[in-house]
Amino acid sequence: MATFDAQQGSWTASDAMHFARRAGFGVTPEVAATMAAQPVTSIVDAWIAQSADMSAFNAALAKADVISTRANQNIPEDPAPHPFRLEGWRQQAGIPNAQGHFAWRMQFNPNSFQEKLALFYHQLFATGAEKVDNTAFTVKQMDLFRAMGTAKFGDLLLAVSKDPAMMIWLDTVLNRVRPGSSDIPNENYAREVMELYSLGVDNGYNQQDITNLAKALSGWTLLPLDVQSNPNNPSIRKPNDAAFYVNTNVHATGTIQYLGATFDIGAPSNYGDACIQAILTQRGTNCATFLAKRLLTFFVNPAFSSQALADLQALILAQNFDMKAVLKAIFKSQYFFDPSHRYNLYEGPVAWIVRMSRMLCPDLATALIPSLPSFPAWRAVAPSFNNAGQAVLDPAGPNGWAEHAGWINSNTLRYRGKLAASLALGETLAGTQAIFPTTVASWFPTPPASSQDVFNRLAALLQPAPIPSDVQSTWLNGLWASGFTWDNSSATQAKVRELAFLILCSPHAQLH
Amino acid sequence: MSSRRQFIQTTLAGSAAFAGFTACSGGGSSSGTGGGPPPPPPPPVIPGPILVLVQIQGGNDWLSMTPPTSGANAGAYAANRPALAIPASNLTDLGGGIGLNKDCTGFDLLHAAGRIAWIPGVGMQNPNLSHFTATDFWGQGATVPDGTGWLGRWGDAAFAPTEVLRGITTTSDIILMNHGRKRDFVAVTSSGDFNFPTLLRSTAQIPDSNFLKSGYLYSLTNPGTVIDVSAAASEGKLFYDAASQFSGLITTRTPSVPYPGDTGYAIANVSTQLASQLKLVAQMIASGIPGQVYTVRLGGFDTHSNQLNDYPRLMRALGGSIKAFYDDLGSITTTVNSQSVKAQDRVMVVGWSEFGRRIKENNGGTDHGTAILAFALGNMVKGGFYGQGYPDLTKPDANGNMIFTTDFRSVYATLLEKFLGYSDSKGILGATYPTLGFL
Repeated sequence: MATFDAQQGSWTASDAMHFARRAGFGVTPEVAATMAAQPVTSIVDAWIAQSADMSAFNAALAKADVISTRANQNIPEDPAPHPFRLEGWRQQAGIPNAQGHFAWRMQFNPNSFQEKLALFYHQLFATGAEKVDNTAFTVKQMDLFRAMGTAKFGDLLLAVSKDPAMMIWLDTVLNRVRPGSSDIPNENYAREVMELYSLGVDNGYNQQDITNLAKALSGWTLLPLDVQSNPNNPSIRKPNDAAFYVNTNVHATGTIQYLGATFDIGAPSNYGDACIQAILTQRGTNCATFLAKRLLTFFVNPAFSSQALADLQALILAQNFDMKAVLKAIFKSQYFFDPSHRYNLYEGPVAWIVRMSRMLCPDLATALIPSLPSFPAWRAVAPSFNNAGQAVLDPAGPNGWAEHAGWINSNTLRYRGKLAASLALGETLAGTQAIFPTTVASWFPTPPASSQDVFNRLAALLQPAPIPSDVQSTWLNGLWASGFTWDNSSATQAKVRELAFLILCSPHAQLH
Repeated sequence: MSSRRQFIQTTLAGSAAFAGFTACSGGGSSSGTGGGPPPPPPPPVIPGPILVLVQIQGGNDWLSMTPPTSGANAGAYAANRPALAIPASNLTDLGGGIGLNKDCTGFDLLHAAGRIAWIPGVGMQNPNLSHFTATDFWGQGATVPDGTGWLGRWGDAAFAPTEVLRGITTTSDIILMNHGRKRDFVAVTSSGDFNFPTLLRSTAQIPDSNFLKSGYLYSLTNPGTVIDVSAAASEGKLFYDAASQFSGLITTRTPSVPYPGDTGYAIANVSTQLASQLKLVAQMIASGIPGQVYTVRLGGFDTHSNQLNDYPRLMRALGGSIKAFYDDLGSITTTVNSQSVKAQDRVMVVGWSEFGRRIKENNGGTDHGTAILAFALGNMVKGGFYGQGYPDLTKPDANGNMIFTTDFRSVYATLLEKFLGYSDSKGILGATYPTLGFL
């Protein structure tokens, strides 16, 4: 039987937590219990259909200042400049703004799969904000992933090829060949769209294919829209949007050989679109293998077998690259829920700190109550993402980041420790605003009767791989050396926070 | 049209600048393929050698850094680079029909002082023009991939377990080159709070570092059978071990010369990306941090477009940062075996890039190519040109790229054997490669 044929029949809260860690940013034990009371199929279908009510989230996104460094600052409607500070003209300051905005969305989006898919596609189509130099375009690309994450992969690939941020990032807008000339095309995107985004290196194409695809894509450019001046420096004018078009004055014409087929790239019906589509039609098997590797590595098992790879490749081909059908098949399979696939994957640092903050910080409804602690100050956290190993939205290269064990080194663990300390120990900005608003009492629906109860509850929230009992007892005996009491004293709270910090920093908590 | 062999002989003849040229000991072979007896163990070049490897990331268009100025190569260069060729007015003559881009700040002075070895045409068999494959091959430095890099394997063989600071990178990631089977290089991206634990935005320490260490140590010795946490456990322990040594040694330091971006630096608007890393390396050297190999990185060289504007900026960052570092080292005195040694006499800077770029320009830039220019720079270096000569630009490969002349592992064998004093380069590189004569 093929790897993905056997479907998970029933499931437990533990299974539901595994699913939510991989397909989202985790759920609490309480939410997992309600999920486990329903059939796997209906939960997975609803999760992938992204059918949760978005109205409160959208309202908050439209009104609240989600990227302020001041954690308590929910500002009312603010017509101009709008409160998200993501306009095109914002340059270096816009990167942490956009990173904070993305992290906020990951934390609070009730359809967390939308954000997890955006993160998956961002890792695949890695586009660096520094070169794009237009915050609005960077955010727009994430919106494309949210809108088309479960569409057919070929449609997404074509849309990404015409995405403004991508067209700037890999020089599509500078690829100009005058018709009939011997101009040399700029082959940056033509190479990477096959090497990095659809086929994999040396997998079904050669240098001549690269050169000819570059010709087919020459003249692809952007019409700036909604151009706005930087209020602080009016000479800097940047668009907030752009429309794709083909500038035929610098678009090569004639016929080319590409991936074993002939294309008339001078025909208006094909100014390059058919060549992008040919990656799937001419090299579908190669593309399905490439995509299967990426999906397995990101969602299931980085050490997949050749059989699992072949079966997922076959599934992708059978579903004609329909990502919704493919993702459903993966997440409903016994293969996904196999015990050996729990905690076999190091989590990326941004997803990791987002998931931990979802467990320890107030939910959206609570955060929106004006008198209570508000959102994490993601704008203040974002500059640490790079040292933690993932400058999300601003990768250094078009290949994104090395996943799994690639997330882990001496420096990234150093910064994960700092992020853990900031979250668990309640670090403040300027001594007043908590960067991550947390209250210890909210972590315990029922008062713990022992230090072991404290550990068990924190472990249920933070969901590390099982921490050896010897390590648990070392920590608990050290923290509660003179006996366990439970009260609201600052001393008790400090011990609980330290225990949460220790769990977060453990090697076990880096896996998910 | 002359053959490549003839070209090399022609361009090398009668040039004072090529006085140091030393053909590979393997004779005319352009790629060491092993075989033959290994070279005898070399004498140590200098006390306490320190290697600083500069990764020039993105693929350096070195035909714009040290372009040919005479002969058939100069003609091919002009024909293929109608818009991007560096004009003679912006070149300093290096001799041998090769010029140096004047934007590479300070390298002209170092060359004139005989402190730079140039190795043009360094490359590998069957290049596929991918940044990432090429970077991995450069990192791997061996015939068979096994997930480790040549420096990491050298560390495996040469470092004692306690020598956790002997291999350091100033980048926040660990490239393949720095991966060992036993251990990776340690990443030090800042000196200020390289201790643990601290908060995110303040450097206030928090009290349970011993608990943390015990958890990591336990996990390392009990890695688990079903769930493997060993990668996180070993990297975490590496950080704690490194931090405990580092924090006891590091001292604050003000550079003795202005680096790019500093007040007093003569050129405005030069990137500080490399300068800030080299400042940190100088601080570590001055503090007595026992780093023997440092890896640093300057990115941005993937000049598919806008090269006329970007390349001068990249050259100023590369040249200016390294020249400032070299000058800064002149003020640092270190201790080696109880003897005082000037840092400038210990440090050699070596630059590499994953590939060079296409000979023929596109519309405003250059696409991915093959062979690179490597350079080695320092007081112990015998300046001049080394390796098997400048590639023949009139005879590119089928994709219009340069055919390499010197195997990249010859550079590594030279660094291992003749600089780091590690005689078994074959054990690291998988085969014997001829060494180059610049040390």
